[in-house]
Amino acid sequence: MTLLRLDRRWLRRSVALVIAIGVWEGLSRAGVLDPFYMPPPSDVARVFVSLFAEGAIWRHLEATFAAALAGLLLGLVAGVILGFAAALLPVVAELLEPVMMLLNAVPRVILAPLFVIWLGIDLGSKVALALVLVAVLFFFAVYGGIREVDQRLVERVRTLGGGRWVLLREVYVPSVTAWVMGSLKVAVGFAFTGAVVGEFVASTRGLGYLLQFAQSTYNAALTLALILLVMGFVLALFSLSERLERRLLRWRYR
Amino acid sequence: MLSVSGLTLAYGAEPVLEGVDLAVPAARIVSLIGPSGSGKTSILRAVTGLHRPAAGRISLAIPPAEVGFLFQDDALLPWRTARQNVALGLRIRGVAKAEALAEAALWLSRLGLAGLDERFPRELSGGQRKRVSIAQVLALKPRLLLMDEPFASLDAIVRARITQDLLDWVEKEHLTVLLVTHDLEEALSISDHVYLLSGGPRARIRESYPVPIPRPRDVVAARTHPAFAPLLGRVWRDLSAEVSLRRLEAAE
Repeated sequence: MTLLRLDRRWLRRSVALVIAIGVWEGLSRAGVLDPFYMPPPSDVARVFVSLFAEGAIWRHLEATFAAALAGLLLGLVAGVILGFAAALLPVVAELLEPVMMLLNAVPRVILAPLFVIWLGIDLGSKVALALVLVAVLFFFAVYGGIREVDQRLVERVRTLGGGRWVLLREVYVPSVTAWVMGSLKVAVGFAFTGAVVGEFVASTRGLGYLLQFAQSTYNAALTLALILLVMGFVLALFSLSERLERRLLRWRYR
Repeated sequence: MLSVSGLTLAYGAEPVLEGVDLAVPAARIVSLIGPSGSGKTSILRAVTGLHRPAAGRISLAIPPAEVGFLFQDDALLPWRTARQNVALGLRIRGVAKAEALAEAALWLSRLGLAGLDERFPRELSGGQRKRVSIAQVLALKPRLLLMDEPFASLDAIVRARITQDLLDWVEKEHLTVLLVTHDLEEALSISDHVYLLSGGPRARIRESYPVPIPRPRDVVAARTHPAFAPLLGRVWRDLSAEVSLRRLEAAE
């Protein structure tokens, strides 16, 4: 019954999407929409296919993926380490909390030009931006996660004879894992934002570089094709993150 | 087995309870009752070392490792299966993993949870989770069992069944129990002795009542014993008087 309801929901969504694309195509062909600004979906699709057929896209994809995934991984490690340090050592919290609050409050992409000045226009500056975007997110997930650990569980383990290490292994790490996994999907989006914006600011390759090129040549079809491409990849990684979350937190989803 | 003398516990400046004396002899079941906020749970927490006393002495005739604490909440690790939760205490005490898991399975089976070993807490009913909690504590073979309203959240039938199973085990193994409860009938039906705490702050032991019902007991049949109703009436009157007195003091 639930499966049937889900299928119907997907069917309704698919039909709505097809209708929207059809209306867009029709309006473009009828001249209601200026193809210079809003090319028809068939043109966007042609550009999309040619990007892969000609093979030019691969080096750009490789650059963006490398920056996003490296930023995600390093940001995860940095955020988790700093979050644990701040939660366990009050002096670290005292120093880090205002910095992280500030970084969280401002749009962190404003750091992109600074990273280009410091690290150049290659991969390093894009990884750094993605890392900062992701690390702040994971810092608060871990820091908050540890501070909000269920004290009943802590007391339970203590009355069973557990010391600091047992508490860390049995209560704090699993509890924080749940928080971290909850942030992973958002972090994937952040990592791609960092990589693409970094490339947008200054680079010689990557999807951000291609977007910058498409914008400067007023190529709306290429711009739309690239936006769809980034959306597609982020959605795919979203889905992978969700699977990973369900696997690691099977106690919550089974 | 456990003796508490002149115990004062405080949260902040004002003591919750002050100068509390009580004794829990070996192989006996003792209950603590009293108005809300009288510090019943705090006494159990002090015995296990979770709360440091402001004054007084807590003497245990056994090592702290032989004290089991059954909480009001199940407080099972949600990311561990029923079997892993039961095995946790054994693992902490240095039992090898395979041995601890085998022992845990045995305890789950003893408590009527055979076949549910691999379920996570959220996949179990309230009564089943409570049984897992009991298994987790009993697996450590405690000689003194501290119970903080462990069955408060359960419906009457499940509660009576679990209480009876636990009582049978306590009597068979000659365990000593200190039970905190709001339920006067529960206290009288399973205990050998009941202490009534006055209302907090600065709560004290107001009265103590021996329960002259022989063992072994059936938790339901014990309520029909001739001594039960008069004793229940007496405890009820004392508790009501204590609550009224505290209300009067608060109003003044």
